[in-house]
Amino acid sequence: MEESEEFGVWLGRQLRRTQLSQADFAQRLGLTRAAVSAWVTGRARPRTEMMAKIAEVLGTDLATLVTRDTDTGGARPIGWYHRTAHLDGGREYGNAAAFAFDADLAVLAREVTQNSLDERLDHDRPVRVRFTLHELTGEHLNSFLTALKWDEVAPHYEAAAQSRQKVARVLAEGLRALREESSLLLLRVDDYNASGLTGPEYADGRYAAVVRRQLDSHKRDDRAGGSYGLGKATLWAASRLGLVLMNSTLSEAHEGRTERRVVGRLDLPWREVDGVAYAGPAWLGEPDTEKEHQGVSRSWWADERVVADLCLERDGDDPGTSFLVVGAHDAAGSSDSLESMRDALDQALADNFWAAMTSGRSTPAMLDASVRALRNGETVVPDRRVDPVERHPALTRALRAHLDGETVAELTSAGQVAATEVPLAVPTPRVSGKRSTTHEHRAVLLVTAADGTDQEHSRVICMRGTRMRVMARRPRGLGMGVDPFQAVLLAGSATGRDDAVTRAAEAFLRAAEPPEHDKWGATEDLTATYANAPRRLTEFNAAMDKALHAVIGRRTDGQREDGPEVLRKLLRLDVPTPGGGRRGPGQPAVDRVTGRVDADGAWTLDVTLTVPRRDERWQMKPVAKFDVRSGGRPSLAWAALEPLENCEVVGDRLLVAPDVRSARFRGVTAVESHPVAAAMAGVIVDVQQAREVSA
Amino acid sequence: MNSYPVDPPERLASLTTGRATSFLTEGVRAGQDEIPQVAVVRAATPLDGYAVRWSTAPVREILDEAMDRFADARTDADAWLAPRLHATVRMSRAEAADPGLWNFLALAVAPDYVLWRHVPAGQSEEAAPKKVNAARFVGPHYSQAFARLWWSAEMFRDGPDYGPAVVACGNQDMINTALRLDAVDHKPTALAMARVLQQWTESGTNRLGDRVNALCTAVNTAGSTLMYEVIAPDDAPDHAARAAWIDEAETAASVPWERLPDGPDDGSARRTSCSALTRMFEQFAAEAPLRDRARAGATAD
Amino acid sequence: MSTVYAYPTLVGKVEATVKGAHIDGKPLQLSLISRSERVVALHQVEREDWTEGVLDLEVSVPAGEVDDGPWARVGCFAVLSEGATNTRVVTRLDKQRDDSVWRGEVRVHRSCHLARATLDVCVVGTYGGIDGRVIGTTDAPWVVDLHGRTPTRQRELDIVEVDFRDGPEEWLRRFADAPWLIDTEREQPTILLNTSFEGLSPLLSGAHGPLEKATAGLLAAQIAADAWSTMFHSALADLEFDEDGTPHLPGGWQGAVLRSLLPDVFPELPLAEALAEAHSRRADGRGWGEVQSRIQFAAARRGTLPKNLTAAIRAVSRAQGGARR
Repeated sequence: MEESEEFGVWLGRQLRRTQLSQADFAQRLGLTRAAVSAWVTGRARPRTEMMAKIAEVLGTDLATLVTRDTDTGGARPIGWYHRTAHLDGGREYGNAAAFAFDADLAVLAREVTQNSLDERLDHDRPVRVRFTLHELTGEHLNSFLTALKWDEVAPHYEAAAQSRQKVARVLAEGLRALREESSLLLLRVDDYNASGLTGPEYADGRYAAVVRRQLDSHKRDDRAGGSYGLGKATLWAASRLGLVLMNSTLSEAHEGRTERRVVGRLDLPWREVDGVAYAGPAWLGEPDTEKEHQGVSRSWWADERVVADLCLERDGDDPGTSFLVVGAHDAAGSSDSLESMRDALDQALADNFWAAMTSGRSTPAMLDASVRALRNGETVVPDRRVDPVERHPALTRALRAHLDGETVAELTSAGQVAATEVPLAVPTPRVSGKRSTTHEHRAVLLVTAADGTDQEHSRVICMRGTRMRVMARRPRGLGMGVDPFQAVLLAGSATGRDDAVTRAAEAFLRAAEPPEHDKWGATEDLTATYANAPRRLTEFNAAMDKALHAVIGRRTDGQREDGPEVLRKLLRLDVPTPGGGRRGPGQPAVDRVTGRVDADGAWTLDVTLTVPRRDERWQMKPVAKFDVRSGGRPSLAWAALEPLENCEVVGDRLLVAPDVRSARFRGVTAVESHPVAAAMAGVIVDVQQAREVSA
Repeated sequence: MNSYPVDPPERLASLTTGRATSFLTEGVRAGQDEIPQVAVVRAATPLDGYAVRWSTAPVREILDEAMDRFADARTDADAWLAPRLHATVRMSRAEAADPGLWNFLALAVAPDYVLWRHVPAGQSEEAAPKKVNAARFVGPHYSQAFARLWWSAEMFRDGPDYGPAVVACGNQDMINTALRLDAVDHKPTALAMARVLQQWTESGTNRLGDRVNALCTAVNTAGSTLMYEVIAPDDAPDHAARAAWIDEAETAASVPWERLPDGPDDGSARRTSCSALTRMFEQFAAEAPLRDRARAGATAD
Repeated sequence: MSTVYAYPTLVGKVEATVKGAHIDGKPLQLSLISRSERVVALHQVEREDWTEGVLDLEVSVPAGEVDDGPWARVGCFAVLSEGATNTRVVTRLDKQRDDSVWRGEVRVHRSCHLARATLDVCVVGTYGGIDGRVIGTTDAPWVVDLHGRTPTRQRELDIVEVDFRDGPEEWLRRFADAPWLIDTEREQPTILLNTSFEGLSPLLSGAHGPLEKATAGLLAAQIAADAWSTMFHSALADLEFDEDGTPHLPGGWQGAVLRSLLPDVFPELPLAEALAEAHSRRADGRGWGEVQSRIQFAAARRGTLPKNLTAAIRAVSRAQGGARR
């Protein structure tokens, strides 16, 4: 079980909450102030017989004093604390980090889910991430706004929306939508089996990294792509109101408690309300009682009713965090309809995390993601697991074969996955005075034939860490005509290994990534830390191409005599004729033939011709033949030819009227000319030019 | 007439059509000029290995016998020669598909036979000498003097039984027309056609050539809408048995002259399939119009 | 020109895919199968003596159309054929009840094939009491290439550099002074470049500078024009005909050559008519001489002779202009 909070810390907070001084408290217990001070500072503990008395004074029971998992003195009023403007008059127009991102649900899904993956708690089971789109209207909306203390923030919104900044326009639009459409869209992201927002209110920790700081990347282990770094700003960016609420179940107790740590954070630009200037963020919470943070809203341990009102209930007590983006929208998406946003999320999750979501027979997936949509608490789109196989069948197959140890060395059928190794010489970090050495890391390259429905193919998907996709690299030097393939490169920790060289490779590659984590290149960080780093990356790329070529490249044994290129290109058989578009005046041609075998066994054929328009009549000879398996086709004789449109029949000739574009005639074949019963044959009709044409 | 090559090469070789054609002068095709034997042998590529089956002597032997035996009725030589050539030059279809081998037989081993068998039947002794069509020396498998015989035996035999092949080769129209059709690549189809021909021959039916051509056209035409392999299923040939039969050439005696040799025992066609197709083809034949061959090719005018 | 049948046929596409292959039980590298070109290069590196190849075939047919269609006993068959060996092997494919595709193994017996077999798929059904009706086929066949090192369709001519004077091919000796020859008697037309013709190969393969490059271009165009013209004649000499004498447009390189040049030879005629006209002029000699000029023109144009000649003339005049300055 989680540890209880230190008695002294707990007691100190209870005294502040009840606004009792240590002297008053001591007096009520009949002790000296020094004795109470010793308890609060942890130098001494009260004797057992004193505990009952302390409980009585604080208005609680003995059990609470032992467990210390509840505060006494009833709930403090929840409210908004707005940071006042800097005394130096500097004006911040908004969260710089948040506004570095556009409101893009795909980016949000990527960043937030990556954070959850980085914060996975129990590595024997997946971290579960659920996205919920929740639309509120009418009474549900009112009740939510009440819980949110909307009345307290409304004046700030109105003021902030007045400014001429870009942020203000977004805010104004958000307020207008709320007012005129009386609806509000919430996007909720829950993770389970994750760390949760642990740590103290202001000092270093996950909680402070998310709630109190803007650019802090609270890095816990060196696999992380920078959890809670810049990425968290995508949450605020996705809110038209710059407002995100959080409810976290902690993996490590804080203040003796783990469940329902709730706080809200609002990012607004500089504004003036009732003559007071405010800048930057505001927090929704309980007024702090500590001296140096007096009045600042801090997270509070909410009861179940409050989280329900705030649409933030969590399932069970599995640790993790629920983020609620208030007034969510997707500037990048086609529309803000629930369905299209749901699809955007689903797609983004599948595209970015198919690898983390893939499991082997005995290897669990790292991630289990799902998306659902609600309207006023009622399900609109049921919770549906994102299945990586649906969008990336071949890639998923490749990884699964690797996890199950079923890869082959050489591809011989479409369903197989070839595995090969790609060496990366990892330099040791620069240490002054020491010569740099390298250690060889062996990345894993998986290759399989692309699936017919794959949108993206014939690239090497490069991954590290928690199988996060860094880039899709276009291989070089494969030669022409290689069949579409899928390739995955697992480097660093993504290989599934965990040794010193693997960790060194992981660190090296992370250093090679820009803040967007979307390629491996010579970043400043990399070149400053490692000697010869750019060369190592070039070699790595070359090794990748070589390994890929060995698996799928066409092997030429050098025996084919290709001849000089200058000549070869003039002898290609598949090039369209130069000037092929140039055509003569055109000739009548058969456009369409329909036909049936009549009762006498003759073919009755209805033939439509396309005729180039000209002033003279066209004269031609219709010909019917039977199709054959091989060789020459037998001709059929006509028993009758009958003009239908724009033509006349003279003997076995057809005369097409001048100045028309089409003609139609009917022909009946002569049964006695059939080499086999009509029903047994396919028939072909053609028109041959009669050489002399006279009108 | 061209004489027996003075010193025929002992072993078969492959002569490309391009090289072979360069030797086919008017004089050679008319039987007036000799073929430069040394140049032909030099231009050819020897076949791999020392297998007995690539010996020319056994081939020469049956050709000489045929020219002797059918001196008065040259076309009749086909039916006698086809199975014996097939059983003498034992090989796979892949090997037989090399035209070089047939070119070499015609130019280096037995140009005299080509001239004997294919010089146009002459009515007059005009000034211009009668020439053998070059395709009899270097043509496609249905024209070349030896290829047509070997492939007729191959396509119309029923496993080891060359009987149907003898029937087919007994009718020039059958070799000339049917052998060109893809349809005979299906064994029951080929055998059913031979069976219909045999019935006609036995009953003394008139206009046999016209009937055979009409039958071929009907089978070829219906073959564009019907899959004979589905109507008349057959089993895959026994490739191993055939390979063994080819290997036996090392020790096999020369082919008999008075009775038929045995072909490779690679499986007979299913009786039921042959019967079903025979019935169908009989019906085709009954319905098909007989066209006068003299008018064929100008029917529509 | 489409064919009209007396029974309903499939409208939807029948598509075949070779998923994998084995040679004598050993799996074939997947890189030897090209799904985009529909070619299998069936060979085992450094092994010529294999006996049997097996192709794993998967075929999709328009299922809804088949299920709701008027045909009974619908089956799907693979047809492996090669004209040169008169071989046609038909394999029945199977479909599992809840599967959407037909599958089967097609056996390729080495002794029955020479060079390139084609693999088609036919959908067959019973209609109007008649069994075995072909109701659908694949649009384009797969090619099983027994010699190809790579699974590609033949797209260009072979060019062989060989010593005419002292090389292994004796018949070339009498052409020792010829810079090049075009050989259309091979399976695939081949340009033979004479390496004993001094300076020819270096000029074509390693021209430096604008003047040399322009000269190489002119020479290549000349050779190409020669080749196209020779191939045209060769293709025209080897046609198949309908009963009424209408020539068929052949397949293979012959078809490609005719399709490529005929529109320039008879620009006023559609392709089929142009082919018939070319054949009849050649056969009866009517105006055949005049057609020669047209063929020459078409071949030169196809070999980009006019374009490369202009480039060469400009390069020469620039070089001389530069010298004067």
